[in-house]
Amino acid sequence: MIPLGWARALGPGMPGASTVRAAGAAAGLAAAALLPFALGSYPVHVLTVALYYVILASSWNLLAGYTGLFSLAHHALAGLGGYTSALLVLRAGIPVPLGIACGGILTYATGYAMGALTLRMRTLYLALATWAFAESTRVVISMEYGLTRGDLGLAVPKLLAATSPRPYYEVFLAAAAATVAGLAILLRSRIGYRLRAIRDDEGVARAVGVNTVRWKRFVFALSSGIAGAAGAIYGHYIGLLSPVGMKFDEMALVIIMVVLGGQRTLAGPVLGAAVVEVASEALRAYGQIRMVVFALTVLAVMRIYPSGLMGIARAMARRWLAAA
Amino acid sequence: MDPTLLTQYVLAGLVIGGIYCLMAVGITFIYSVMKMINWAMGEFYMIGGYVQYVLITAWLGPQRWALALPLAVLTVAALGMLVQRLLLQPMFAGQLERLDEYATIVTISLTVLFRNLAVVLFGPYQFSPRDYAPPVQLGPLPINGSRVVAFLGAAVLLGLFALVVRRTWLGLALRSVAQNRLGALAAGINLSRIDMLAFGIGVGLAGAAGALLAPVFLVYPESGALSTVKGFEIIVIGGLGSLPGSIVGGFLLGLVESLGSVLISPSFRDVYGFGLLLLLLALRPTGLWGEQAREA
Repeated sequence: MIPLGWARALGPGMPGASTVRAAGAAAGLAAAALLPFALGSYPVHVLTVALYYVILASSWNLLAGYTGLFSLAHHALAGLGGYTSALLVLRAGIPVPLGIACGGILTYATGYAMGALTLRMRTLYLALATWAFAESTRVVISMEYGLTRGDLGLAVPKLLAATSPRPYYEVFLAAAAATVAGLAILLRSRIGYRLRAIRDDEGVARAVGVNTVRWKRFVFALSSGIAGAAGAIYGHYIGLLSPVGMKFDEMALVIIMVVLGGQRTLAGPVLGAAVVEVASEALRAYGQIRMVVFALTVLAVMRIYPSGLMGIARAMARRWLAAA
Repeated sequence: MDPTLLTQYVLAGLVIGGIYCLMAVGITFIYSVMKMINWAMGEFYMIGGYVQYVLITAWLGPQRWALALPLAVLTVAALGMLVQRLLLQPMFAGQLERLDEYATIVTISLTVLFRNLAVVLFGPYQFSPRDYAPPVQLGPLPINGSRVVAFLGAAVLLGLFALVVRRTWLGLALRSVAQNRLGALAAGINLSRIDMLAFGIGVGLAGAAGALLAPVFLVYPESGALSTVKGFEIIVIGGLGSLPGSIVGGFLLGLVESLGSVLISPSFRDVYGFGLLLLLLALRPTGLWGEQAREA
């Protein structure tokens, strides 16, 4: 017999109130907050990075999974947020939290402007333009070495005085929890229904009075802003920014996490980010073969079970409950 | 500015633009027939470069690069057809919802797979085949011989491509599928075979670009990254699904990059295309030759 909270959190067809689900999430969060006290500093660091990817994957899932907009610049926006914050802190001397906010605001504005240019067209244009944006941003950052120190990397002031990753873990946990909770609230609101309507059939959505361009632009800007802020916090945690982190592999990693976990679910990207990041640390000794394995796994998932780990979990839970 | 020097840069831009056309035509051709973007286009370009390099260093010798070229193109096309049959065919047969989403995720996973396989197999090194030809005197300044060879190769391939698409039964079938899949099916065209061929031809063009440019831009796991971006920029500039748009867009991008390098700064050569793209999206969102329809 599986715990009640789990059963209810797993699927729509099952009896369950959102309060039970929220209680389950709160319990999970409390457990996650206590986790670092049971682990050494290296595992905590790995989990901290995993939480960063939870934020990226969840916000990308809002775009691609729920709204049907494929942005391929999420990693570049995270990098842009990181550089914005770092450079403002270094050159203008503003406090780090303000820099992080500026990183988020700038990437929100960038997303808004790019959305305004591309979202009137068919959605493929957004994907094409964001890919070009991502590569161009990377080239500019590595060429403008006078400002960004290019491929040498930019040393970034830390967010906290602590050297242990534990406090950073709590910061990222709070940010990730806030992101996922915010998305849950957004998706339950009228806006959430509009977004899903746009994904399912844009023509029909427009016919029933949804201003599709406006909401697509909003959701693209919002998820860009989240990526930028997350990238800024990440930069102030790692202490080094480099254009290498803005290569397309990063974007592919986020996509792999979301697809593996399960698109169009809130828990999917969380699960996918944790599994992929932990697995990629555990298999570090195997070098690039890891990425080959991840890519093959995603191809297999897409070919055989497109709803990902969450889909498998739901199907198993359903079978379990039916048998019980 | 000195007019002869300017002509020189214009020529250099057109030469490189001709090769960009190969990538862009491949992308837009696959899109027209299969209604999907192949995001792994640059990886097929990269594979074309590797195959060419392996052929001329391990087997044919640097003198017989011209013999290696068609072999490299055919290898890449065959690989493309295999990928299409194994991974993309099911998306039409299985009637998955949201075909474009499935295709996007699958081809993006392929970029990761191919790039990292290249690292695993050949290491992260840059290989440089010898130049295909000595420098060619074009006006007052010499142009790298390999670039001239690549331009001529691209011109021949595009001519051949146009001939097939316009004059043969296969071309008619391809065009009919691009216009209306259901109608083509009703007329007795084997859609799955046409899709496979279209994908093979499309990635074959990318493989040809990779093999032709192997001595110019070198061969390494991420060599496809910038060429894909340029292909996509051309697609947006020329208009998605338009072959003439891809050709004009290719030359335009080559020109803008070349002139931007002299007039502004050579470091940002790879960014001017994005500027052009933004400008065009703001002024003429459907691209130069774009379809009027704005929604999929």
